[in-house]
Amino acid sequence: MAADGGRSSLQLPCVFSPKSRQYLALCAQDGRLRIWNTDSKTLHQEYVPSAHLSATCTCIAWGPCRTVKEGPQRKKRKSEAVQTEEKADLLAMGTAAGSVLIYSTAKGALHCTLDGGHSGGVNCVQWHPEDSLLYSGSDDTNIVEWDLQTGKTRSKWKADRSAVTSLCVSPDGKLLLSAGQIIKMWNLDTKEVYRKFTGHATAVTTLRFATTRPPDSNGLYFLSGAAHDRLLSVWQVREDGKDKNSVVSFTLTDEPQHIDLVASNSKDEAVRLAVVCKDGQLHLFEHFLNGPCKKPLSPSCTVQMSDTKENPMPIPLLAAAFGTDIRTVLLAYGNHLQPVMERVEINTAERHQCLTRDVQTSLSLTMETMVSKVKTPIVNANNRVLVPGVPGHHAPVKVASQGSEKRKKDTDTKEMSIAERLGEIDLSTVSTDKAAPKGMASLQTDNFAVLLVQGLESNDTNILNKVFQTRKEMVIKKTVARLPLPAVLPLVEELTKRLQGHPFMAVLMVRWLKAVLMHHTSYLASLPDLVTQLGVLYCMIESRVKMFHKLTKLHGKLYLLTTQVATSDSSNMVSDVDHTAKLVYEEESSDEDEASGDEGLPDNDSDHWEEEEMMEEEDKEEQADEEDEDPDSRTESKANGEEDMEHENESEEE
Amino acid sequence: MASFKPTKIQVYPKLGEKVTQDTLYWKNYKAPVQIKEFGAITNIDFSPVSPHNFAVTAFTRIHIYGPFSQEPVKTFTRFKDTAYCGRFRSDGQLLVAGCEDSVVRLFDVSGKVALRMFKGHTKAVHLTDFTSDRYQILTGSDDYTCRLWDIPSATELNNYQEHTDYIRCGVTSKLNRDLFITGSYDHTVKVFDARVDKSVMTMDHAHPVESLLLYPSEGLLVSAGGRYVKVWDLLKGGQPLVSLKNHHKTVTCLSLSSNGQRLLSASLDRHVKVYNTTNYKVVHNFDYASAILSLALAPDDESIVVGMTNNILSIKHRKSPEESKEKAEQQRRRPSYRVFVKGKNYIPKQDDYLVSKPVKQHLAKYDKQLKKFNVSKALDTALESWTRLRKPEITVAVVKELDRRGTLKNALAGRDEQWLSQFLNFLIGNLVDTRFTPVLITPAEMILDIYQSIVGQSPVVDRQLLRLHDLLEKEIDYQKDLLEVLGMLDTLFASTCPRKEVPCSGISRSNGLAQGEASSTSRPELQVT
Repeated sequence: MAADGGRSSLQLPCVFSPKSRQYLALCAQDGRLRIWNTDSKTLHQEYVPSAHLSATCTCIAWGPCRTVKEGPQRKKRKSEAVQTEEKADLLAMGTAAGSVLIYSTAKGALHCTLDGGHSGGVNCVQWHPEDSLLYSGSDDTNIVEWDLQTGKTRSKWKADRSAVTSLCVSPDGKLLLSAGQIIKMWNLDTKEVYRKFTGHATAVTTLRFATTRPPDSNGLYFLSGAAHDRLLSVWQVREDGKDKNSVVSFTLTDEPQHIDLVASNSKDEAVRLAVVCKDGQLHLFEHFLNGPCKKPLSPSCTVQMSDTKENPMPIPLLAAAFGTDIRTVLLAYGNHLQPVMERVEINTAERHQCLTRDVQTSLSLTMETMVSKVKTPIVNANNRVLVPGVPGHHAPVKVASQGSEKRKKDTDTKEMSIAERLGEIDLSTVSTDKAAPKGMASLQTDNFAVLLVQGLESNDTNILNKVFQTRKEMVIKKTVARLPLPAVLPLVEELTKRLQGHPFMAVLMVRWLKAVLMHHTSYLASLPDLVTQLGVLYCMIESRVKMFHKLTKLHGKLYLLTTQVATSDSSNMVSDVDHTAKLVYEEESSDEDEASGDEGLPDNDSDHWEEEEMMEEEDKEEQADEEDEDPDSRTESKANGEEDMEHENESEEE
Repeated sequence: MASFKPTKIQVYPKLGEKVTQDTLYWKNYKAPVQIKEFGAITNIDFSPVSPHNFAVTAFTRIHIYGPFSQEPVKTFTRFKDTAYCGRFRSDGQLLVAGCEDSVVRLFDVSGKVALRMFKGHTKAVHLTDFTSDRYQILTGSDDYTCRLWDIPSATELNNYQEHTDYIRCGVTSKLNRDLFITGSYDHTVKVFDARVDKSVMTMDHAHPVESLLLYPSEGLLVSAGGRYVKVWDLLKGGQPLVSLKNHHKTVTCLSLSSNGQRLLSASLDRHVKVYNTTNYKVVHNFDYASAILSLALAPDDESIVVGMTNNILSIKHRKSPEESKEKAEQQRRRPSYRVFVKGKNYIPKQDDYLVSKPVKQHLAKYDKQLKKFNVSKALDTALESWTRLRKPEITVAVVKELDRRGTLKNALAGRDEQWLSQFLNFLIGNLVDTRFTPVLITPAEMILDIYQSIVGQSPVVDRQLLRLHDLLEKEIDYQKDLLEVLGMLDTLFASTCPRKEVPCSGISRSNGLAQGEASSTSRPELQVT
């Protein structure tokens, strides 16, 4: 029962002080160490390591209570009796740079720095329960034993082939567990390996002794949890050495993040376990450790937390610890920067519980600003956390928000300019989404007019293509309307060039041309050399429309033919369903001189295109024939009407 | 005996860009070699002596590339901060460069360490150059001053403090060792004379000046800044001659082609424009991938080197004459020289009786078939895929000839589905081409007449007919629109010259294209009527 609280290499370190649970030490994303008072729910101390950004804090461990330095058995008694005298003071922080910082909460300042021991980042620190010794395991595969009296390394040994990710000192201070992937048990006196336990496939993140060492050695249990592993394994250290496999395992919903454990002192006392998983759920277990159990054990109780919104979002739990009372559990939840602490009585009769707390708005907002640092802090003004029913919670919030504000301001000055520049594009898109269609059009055309002028100036085909491809009548009109006068003639020239192309594209160009002629009539008319300017265009159009007459005729012919195909197809379709024979009989009975459908046509049509009147008459006949059969014939007649119209047009022109 | 007249292939005016000598010249470059540098490339300078290496200033380095090397042959890295404006001396032996840390360094091209360091400026130095006597250096800096330095003693000779903003560009006269010109962000270009302590001429560019260029004759000065390129006459006391606005973003760099006939300007809008220096019209245009910061032309225009903001250096080499020749030879293999010349150089004597050998008329395949009245085969030949796709005018001419003979219907009749779909494809591709429409309408109508009966039997042909139908519909819509536009134009013209008729003849004279079309359209009309 030395230092308390779990730690995982991936998670942010978050530890309750031992026994009284008076403090919660938390190292947040910004690299600061914050110590919260769990009784008053206020920020007790804040400490910024000098290298908090370069060498982030990877692990924290509370030292044993300083006033009394006694064995665990006596401690137990003390904690029950004279709790007030004991005060957790020292806090060891391992950093990614390889040094260990000792922070004193009594002084509120850095006590000392231990460095020179590791060449890699520190993964775990553990205090010796009695002597003022500290063990640290590192990426450089070594374990270092520090003497706190001198501040120097007392011994250092290679523990594993891979990085040492977890350590645990036995309650009596004689054994040390260390783990990379393989868990090794060391005799601390001789620094020799006592046992090896294999079974985890990934790096072990949690090690904890589950029982104090009883007189017969078979009763020593410890438990381990690994990264990406949803099981906590319990291992038994046996005299005979037949301890290759884990004896019990506890199932979780996710990787364990924080573990609190009440060890059992005798066989008839259950081990109580509170595990906070990575997904923010708390699982409570209660189990008598008395030998192997094949089935994995499921939690006796699961606690979740959610907010009070209409569609509730889960609030992640950060840590949980058993209180002095059996029923109460001390919970820390919410954000790492502003955790909310609460003592809750858990009704263990219910297997699954969901607590609702109204912290969501403020929390989620602060979450956003913290997680993505690039974002501008819009919520600075209302950046307050109010937890109803928790008095005195405002003070720390202010402190915290001030701190974070500072940091945010720093980032602001750098990033506002970029944000401003880029933001305009976003703003415009956002506003176009929301604004009325009219506003959208104006916005876009403004861009288009500028683009068009640029394209005309530098004769950039990419830009011009982009502009000319628009199909929206409104956009074209507004663009042309906004076009500065000097750009009008170049635009007309460009359009003249493009009008010669394929009709599919040229149709769009005509729209542009029309818009230009409509909007800039007076300007164009005022040009002294208008005829020479627009002459090319005029001649081009004239030469193109010369064939209008013939093309229209051809179109008419084709139209007739294609509709014929369509009708024959549709009649075939019909015939598939009905009986063809029936139709044919009816035809013959009603009309003697014409065979039905396709066969009748060729005879007539061989000489029929020369004279239009003939054709039209025939058409009418055909229509009359087909009208009762097909609705298509109506469109056909319409087409003929169109043809007539067009003929008239032509005659006018000529 | 009247000989067979081959089908006349109408020469149509080409649509699109006109191909000029300039386009041919400037397109005659290979695909660019692209080299990634460490930072934006701010300056490129060619060594004046052969083999014409060039110095590329990018970030804190100056790389020197050989004319054909893709790796730097030499690198100067002794800069504490971003380097600027690495320039060669006229003998190609020395190189000077400014730096963000305000120190000007002089390098021996063969060495590595700076020979001289000129300290005195208080801010970044963006302009460095040698005077024409080779013993002095001109520098211009962000501290608004430009200075003259003596190379041997590394001392400051003169300090000019007339500009009121950053000095970012400048040139020294190649003819007079005392004359130099600087351009500044205060919108002015100043001509300085080292014999006098102040500027002798000031020109207002109206935009921050980014680049300066002196003509070889040094009578004209070109300045670039903002979107404008301006040409000044120095001999007339700085009179502005031309103002060019052909870019839509800031012009960053100027260069002159080797013969002085073409001016190049590069801009942030990713274009390099080539101007004719007699009339200052844009004759060619290069597109690049990113905003251009620096541009240089090798002597004899052997390569165009462009540095961009995305750290890429693009080098285009001119195609060697052999390369372009080889291609031509591959395309057309002629008989060997001996055979070709045989008997040609024989000079007849006075009393020789000359019997002229009848020149054998070479006929194209379709003409041969036309000569034999194999009309269908002639049409087939004209519809061969290469001709059909590459030279549709040949196909059109054959169709026209067949139509003239009155045998087009025969040629079109009696075809199978595949041929028909091929021909319809051709029609779809070319019917709306203004040059071919008058000719191709006739066969289109004939096809419809002839194959009316089988419409609906082949799904392939049907589909193509539908496509043709759609196309015609579009074209007709389009022409209707055009007619409307024509009406608008008529109104416009009428309002400008109310008394006169629209002078169509005058217009057509100004437009070669319309003339050609008019002549091509007139004939088939006659035939139809």
